[in-house]
Amino acid sequence: MARYDPLLAWFRRRLRLVATAGAVGIVLGGIAAVVIAVLDDPTTASTQTFAIGTLAFGFGILGWSGSALAGRSIEGLQRRLDTNSDWTERDSRRAMTRLSGFGAGVMAGVVIVTPLLP
Amino acid sequence: MVSKRFIAKRLLLLVPVLFGVATVVFAILHLAPGDPARVILGQRAPTQQVVQLRRELGLNDPIWVQYGRFLADTAQLDFGQSYQIAKGSPVWDVLADRLPVTIELAIYGQITAILLGIPLGVLSAVKQDSLTDHVTRIGALTGISVPIFWSGPLVLLVFATFLGWLPTSGRIGSTFFLEDHWVLFGTQLPLTGMVSIDTFILDTGAFVQSILYGEGLGAFASLTEYYASFISAVQHLLLPVLTLGIYSMALLSRMMRSSMLEVIRQDYIRTARAKGQGERITILKHGLRNALIPVITVIGIQFGTLLGGAVLTETVFGIGGIGQLLVAAIGATDYPLVQGTVLVFALLFTLVNLGVDVTYSYLDPRIQQ
Amino acid sequence: MATETSTTADRRGIVERLRASPFLSELLSNRLAIIGLSIILGMVLLGVYARLFLDLGAISQSQLAAHPNKAPPGWLGSAALDQFLFGTDAAARDIFKRVLYGAWLALKFGVLVVGASTVLGISLGIIAAYYGDVVDNVVMRTMDVFLAFPSLLLALALVAIFGAGLSKVVIALTLVYTPRFARVVRGAALKVLEDEYIDATVALGARDPRVLVRHVLPNCLAPITVQSTLNFGLAIIDLAALSFLGFGAQAGTPSWGLMLKNGVSNGLLTGDWWLSFFPGLFLAVTVLGFNLLGDGMRDALDPRMRETVE
Repeated sequence: MARYDPLLAWFRRRLRLVATAGAVGIVLGGIAAVVIAVLDDPTTASTQTFAIGTLAFGFGILGWSGSALAGRSIEGLQRRLDTNSDWTERDSRRAMTRLSGFGAGVMAGVVIVTPLLP
Repeated sequence: MVSKRFIAKRLLLLVPVLFGVATVVFAILHLAPGDPARVILGQRAPTQQVVQLRRELGLNDPIWVQYGRFLADTAQLDFGQSYQIAKGSPVWDVLADRLPVTIELAIYGQITAILLGIPLGVLSAVKQDSLTDHVTRIGALTGISVPIFWSGPLVLLVFATFLGWLPTSGRIGSTFFLEDHWVLFGTQLPLTGMVSIDTFILDTGAFVQSILYGEGLGAFASLTEYYASFISAVQHLLLPVLTLGIYSMALLSRMMRSSMLEVIRQDYIRTARAKGQGERITILKHGLRNALIPVITVIGIQFGTLLGGAVLTETVFGIGGIGQLLVAAIGATDYPLVQGTVLVFALLFTLVNLGVDVTYSYLDPRIQQ
Repeated sequence: MATETSTTADRRGIVERLRASPFLSELLSNRLAIIGLSIILGMVLLGVYARLFLDLGAISQSQLAAHPNKAPPGWLGSAALDQFLFGTDAAARDIFKRVLYGAWLALKFGVLVVGASTVLGISLGIIAAYYGDVVDNVVMRTMDVFLAFPSLLLALALVAIFGAGLSKVVIALTLVYTPRFARVVRGAALKVLEDEYIDATVALGARDPRVLVRHVLPNCLAPITVQSTLNFGLAIIDLAALSFLGFGAQAGTPSWGLMLKNGVSNGLLTGDWWLSFFPGLFLAVTVLGFNLLGDGMRDALDPRMRETVE
C-alpha cells in the first residue's frame, strides 16, 4: 500500500521520458556505428557516432537549463518575432529532456557496440 | 524584494548550462575535420612525430575515455594549452588576459544602447506620427541596416584619421604603461583588467597622494595631468563603444516604441488621464514601468547580438578581446582556445540573462514563485 | 461590371484579384516599402549588369602593372571624371566595378541562403505540424534553442565545424536561418489543419503529407514572403560579416565584406576612405531596401500589427 508520493511520481515521469528516448538512442546509435564501421573504419564509426550523440546530449542539456534560466526572455523574444507563440518553459524542458536522453542513448549504444566492431 | 533563494536557484542553473556548452564543444571538436596533432606540429612535421604526439595527447583512447577526461579537466577550469595563437600557454591564462577587455566594451556598449534607445523609443511612442517619430523610426531602421564593419571604419576615418580628435586603435596611448596591480598603504591589490577602471583607480591614487603629501590643493590645477592615462583610456574607448552602442540602440528603441504604444492604448492609462492628471506624468508613472518589462526581457537575449557585434567591433578597432581571439582561434583551428572562448561567451551571456531576470522580478514582483 | 461575361472575368482574374487584394493595395500605398522595392530592383539590375558585362578576372586580380594603387575617385583628383569613379584599392583594382560585381555576389548568395533555409524551414514546419505531439515538440523546441543564439556567433561556431569558404558559409547560414522559417510555416500549417476543410479531406482517406503541402503552402505564402524579405537583409549582413572576418570569400573575390576587410587593413590609417566607403554604402543601402520592404509587407499583411509594431 504505497502512499502516493508526488516527488516519486514526478521523478517517474521524467524517468520514463528519458528512458524511452534513451532506448531509441541506444538502438539508433548502435546501428549507425555498425553501418559506418562497415562503410568506413571502426575507429571513425565509434568517434563520429559518439560525437553526434554528445552533440544531442549537450544541446539538450543546454536547451533544458537555458529554457529554465531564460524562459521569460525567450517568451519575450517569441512575442517580438510575432508568430503565434505557444512556447512554454515546461514544453521546452520536456523536449530537451527527450533530446538529451536520446543523445545519452546514442553514446551508450556506441560504447556497447564498439567492442563488437571488426 | 528579490529573494536570495530565487537568485541561488538561478545561479545553480549555470552548472548545467556550462556542462551543456562544454559537451557541445567537445562534439564540435570531434566532428570538425583535421587532426589536432597535425595542427600543433604543422603540415610538414614528420609522421612519426605526429603519431607520438597523438599518443601523448591521448587521441588514440576510445572517445568516451577522452570525453570523461575532457569533462574532468573542464571542471577544474583546465582548458588545456593553446595550439597556435599563444602556443603552449594555458588557455585559461590567455582568456583571463583578454576577457576584461570584452566585458568593458560590452558593458559600456549596452549602457549606451539602453541610455539612448529607451528614451528615443518612449519619445517616438509619445509623439506618435509626429516628425520626431518618423525621424526616430527611419533612423532606427537605418541603424539596423548599417553593419558595424562599415560604421566603425567610417567613424574611425572621420574622427581619428581626418580630424585627429581620437586615437585610431588600441586601448591606451603608447606612452602609458598598464600596471597589473596597485598599491594601497603598502599592500598590493589586483586590478580589474578593464583599462578605464584601472587607470581611474591608479590616477586617483596618485592624485590623492599628491593632495595629501605633495602639492596639496594646488593639485587641482593640474587635474588633467594627473588623469592623463584615464583620459587616454576613455578616448580609446569612445569610438568602439559608440559604434557598438548605436548598433544595439536601434533595436532597443524600436521595441521600446512598440511596447510603449501598446501600454498607452491600454485602458487604465486612459482612466488615469480622465482623472485629470497631467499627460506627461501619467505616461511616465504608469506607462514606463509596464512598457519596460517586455523590453527588459529582450535585453537579455539581445545581449547575445551585442556580443556578436563585439566580435566585429574588436576586429575593426584592433582591440584584443575575446571576440578577436575567437576569430583568430577559429582561423588557426586552435581548438582548445575556441572551446575556452565559447565557454566564456556562454558564461557571460548566462550571467547577463540572470541579471535581467532579477531586474525583471524586481519590476514585476508577481513573477517570483 | 454586371454586364461582364464570365469569360472576361476569368481572363481578368489575376489582375482583378491582385488589384482587389488588400495586401497589395496596402503595400503599394506604403511609400517606404516602395522605396525599398526600388532599391532592391536597382541592385538586381546593377548586379545582373555586372555579371553579364564585367570581366571577373580583371576585377579579381592585381592590376598594379596597369593602374596606380589606392588612387582616389577620378572626380576628386586631376584624372578624368569617369576614370575610377570610386577609386582603386591596394591592388589597383577598380572599386566601382568591384562594388557592382559585389551586388551580384550578395544577391546570389543571399538567394542561396534564404532559398535553402526557406525550403528546409517549410519541410520542418510541415513535418512538425503534421505529426504533432513528440515530433512537433522536439523539432520546434530545438528550433527555439537555435533561435536564442545570436546569428553571427552561431554561424561562427558552425564555420569552426565546417571550415572556411563561401560554400560552407552558405551552409552554416542556412542552418542558422532555417528555424525562423520553420516557425512561420508550422504556425500556418496548424491553422490550416484546424480548418474543417482539411479534416474533411483527411476523413476521405487522404491522410498524406502531400495534401497538407498543397493546402498549407498557399496559406503561408504571404508570411513566408515577409519572413524571407526581412531575413534577406540580415543574411546579406551575416554573409558580409563572415567574409569581413576572413571566413567567407577567398582573397580577390569582389565581395562587399572582403572589400571592407581590405579597407580596414589598408585604408584606415592612411585616410583612403574610398576603400571602405563605397562597398559599405552599397551593402547598407541594399539591406535598408530589404528592411523597408519587409517592414511594409508585414504591415500590409497584418494591419492590426501596424498600430503597435512599426
